[in-house]
Amino acid sequence: MTKNVCTQCGYEHVVIHRKYNGQRLCSSCFKKSIEGKVLKTIKKQKLVTKGDKVLVGLSGGKDSVALLKILNILKEKRIIELEAVTIDEGIAGYREEGVRIAKDVAKELGVKHHIVSFADKYNFTIDKIMEAEQKEEHPQHACTYCGVFRRQIFNQMARDVKADKLATGHNLDDETQSILMNYLEGNVNNMVRIGYKTEARDKRFTQKIKPLREIPEKEIGLYVLESGFEVHFDGCPYAHESFRMEIGDFLRETTLKHPTIMYSTLNGFEKIKPAIKKDYMENFTGKPNKTCIKCGEPSSQEICKSCKFLEKIQNKIN
Amino acid sequence: MSIKLINKQNVKEIDFVEDTKIEDILKQEEIPIETVVIKQNGETVTEDEIVNDNDEIEIIKVIYGG
Repeated sequence: MTKNVCTQCGYEHVVIHRKYNGQRLCSSCFKKSIEGKVLKTIKKQKLVTKGDKVLVGLSGGKDSVALLKILNILKEKRIIELEAVTIDEGIAGYREEGVRIAKDVAKELGVKHHIVSFADKYNFTIDKIMEAEQKEEHPQHACTYCGVFRRQIFNQMARDVKADKLATGHNLDDETQSILMNYLEGNVNNMVRIGYKTEARDKRFTQKIKPLREIPEKEIGLYVLESGFEVHFDGCPYAHESFRMEIGDFLRETTLKHPTIMYSTLNGFEKIKPAIKKDYMENFTGKPNKTCIKCGEPSSQEICKSCKFLEKIQNKIN
Repeated sequence: MSIKLINKQNVKEIDFVEDTKIEDILKQEEIPIETVVIKQNGETVTEDEIVNDNDEIEIIKVIYGG
């Protein structure tokens, strides 16, 4: 039987057995390994440039807490400037804890922190929208509204603080789910956009980067627990049975028997992506970027999705 | 021999035979291993650790779904 000792330093108490590469690691070597891997991704994929101001989307969940902690290493080395933004969508009994943890983590790391609420910005909460939505014959999911407004706030905040990059906590599980979902749905348009960083479609959009893209979700959970951070592990009350969830369960189950499956999905996709992109872009006549006539934000149509939703919501809740 | 299994507010005593691994207990309780971090008497461990009489095994769910 294999001795349960750290394969790096020989310490007798291990916290993880990585079946995809055979490593067994103690708490200290595990944390170093995660930080090293993320910093290597940042360097290899050129996710930041010296002097960049990076804005982190900090929900208070495990992924964004881990991301802020690791990017703070670069801040302490004076390679980047770092700020964080938390969005309070107004979900009673759920979001308060995330906001509190986000505040505590930012304070502990000495990172400038902004909190933007739907209530202040739009004069409604997700709870209020959903209350009205339940009266409809075919109610929309909360995620439909939430995603559009969150994206708008992130973009505006990134511009306001003059951030060069907007960093999000997407992990290996999220990315392989996106690859598989878009492939199975035949959604090539979305598939070619999956990557370490976004490519500017409009200079008014700040480039988004995903430094945790090669870290399995479970390891991020373990990293924040072993780092002694309090983490908001509860799921959103509006989360519903979705195709993403089905794919996530399938991938995790498959990983038990085939431990390298998520890495091979990601790496294989990265290899074929340039070919798909080249061929797809040659046959794709994308719409030129317009400006929303209501709010002045970049939009593919006369009125942006956010403004369309705002109008719909005002009619519903008034 | 028995252990105390703590899963959030849900606490239960579970009997086991010698040489049982944490992994066996999780399978028996239908807890997906790939979504949790495990603490044995307060220390983070891997699922291939053997359980001992009177152990306190805490399950921390870190992934939703499953």
